[in-house]
Amino acid sequence: MATIQAHGIAAQLPTRFEGRIFVRPATVGVSYPVGQFATFPIPDDIGDFGSGAVALMGPDDVFATLFEYGPESLGTALFSSQGRPPSFAPDDFSPMRLRRGIPGQSGTQRFFTEAGRPFSFYAVLGSHVRRESLVPRVNELISSLLISPASTPSEGAAPRWN
Amino acid sequence: MVALVVVVTFVVLLLGVLVAGLLRSHADILRSLHELGVGVGDPASGSEPSSARDAAPRLPTWSETSTPSGPAPTVTGVTPAGDARAVAVNNTDGFTLLAFLSSGCATCAAFWESLQAPESLELPQGTRVAIVTKGPDREMPAEVARMATGRIPVVMSTEAWLEYEVPGSPFFVLVDGASGSTVGQGVAPHIEQLLDLIRRAEHDRGQHHRSRHRPSTHRNGPEREADADEVLQMAGIRPGDPSLYPETLEDVFPFSAGPTPDSNGGSSARVK
Repeated sequence: MATIQAHGIAAQLPTRFEGRIFVRPATVGVSYPVGQFATFPIPDDIGDFGSGAVALMGPDDVFATLFEYGPESLGTALFSSQGRPPSFAPDDFSPMRLRRGIPGQSGTQRFFTEAGRPFSFYAVLGSHVRRESLVPRVNELISSLLISPASTPSEGAAPRWN
Repeated sequence: MVALVVVVTFVVLLLGVLVAGLLRSHADILRSLHELGVGVGDPASGSEPSSARDAAPRLPTWSETSTPSGPAPTVTGVTPAGDARAVAVNNTDGFTLLAFLSSGCATCAAFWESLQAPESLELPQGTRVAIVTKGPDREMPAEVARMATGRIPVVMSTEAWLEYEVPGSPFFVLVDGASGSTVGQGVAPHIEQLLDLIRRAEHDRGQHHRSRHRPSTHRNGPEREADADEVLQMAGIRPGDPSLYPETLEDVFPFSAGPTPDSNGGSSARVK
């Protein structure tokens, strides 16, 4: 099982999943880590929540984003849930919960705080009618994530020779 | 006088031995390059007229796997920017071409340029290209970042080089996404020869390969209609099904219309 790890987030990718964990270069202010995971090839130039990627999904595909918010979100009502959702049920997914409505697809999103970091987890199913078989894939993914406490800015910044 | 002659003779002999050693070392290097498929000419036939060599173009060293090999592993590593990246090779219907390149290898330079513009290569439809360099322990990320355009995945992973048993760069591995197994691997000195090998692999795979219902921007007409029919039938929706003829909005969205993610206050703190 392939494992990727960066920016205090690790994922043991289930079969057929690929992913990336990155921090987008900040044009203004500070950027925070984003994890993107999918059962189809992820283009490199997509939006944080999958714009540009979800249109490429097949009916058997799953896309998910783990998105970290800034520390100013800590303690707010929206992020009051402690820990990620342990799993999702098929009824948690709805076509009305997509950030960008694409016929046939459905999605869900949860906000939570884990390891002292505020996150949202957003998942899209390629086919709402196949949610019974696709939601377990999402659950497999979310249970494989490992979130560590945020590192201090100075950590890892020391220059070094390769 | 005699002493001078002896000394000069000794020096000449010594230089002769050194030159012979250098020539032998050079021959060894040429032979090794030839074995990797990037040499010029055949070192074993140095007396062959150049016109004869030109008349018979040398094929790249490429081994096609006729029987399915084991599952090709997902390539995991870091990007030149230090982010984590995993490229699966079994989640697409098409081929995945893994190009194992180095930032400092002269032969690789042309591949860096060509492979990062895959649309101009006329690759078989659905073919994905990813460049894999050795990890940050063996390559300078800044050098790799300078060569990467961001148009295709560039993963730095020494582990992938070991898993795919890469002997040196440039080296290429072609994986069939439908089976998740390697269908060919080896060295091609020029991009044209590499493309020929990929097209040959596509031809060998045959025209009967059915897609996993991934939508394609190149499909239209009857092919697209057939795909839609197949997906609907797999979902249990047959011709005449009432869901195909919605009359109201509730017919289209019969699910609970809960709040959308962005309707929760404060959730759009940073949205792209």
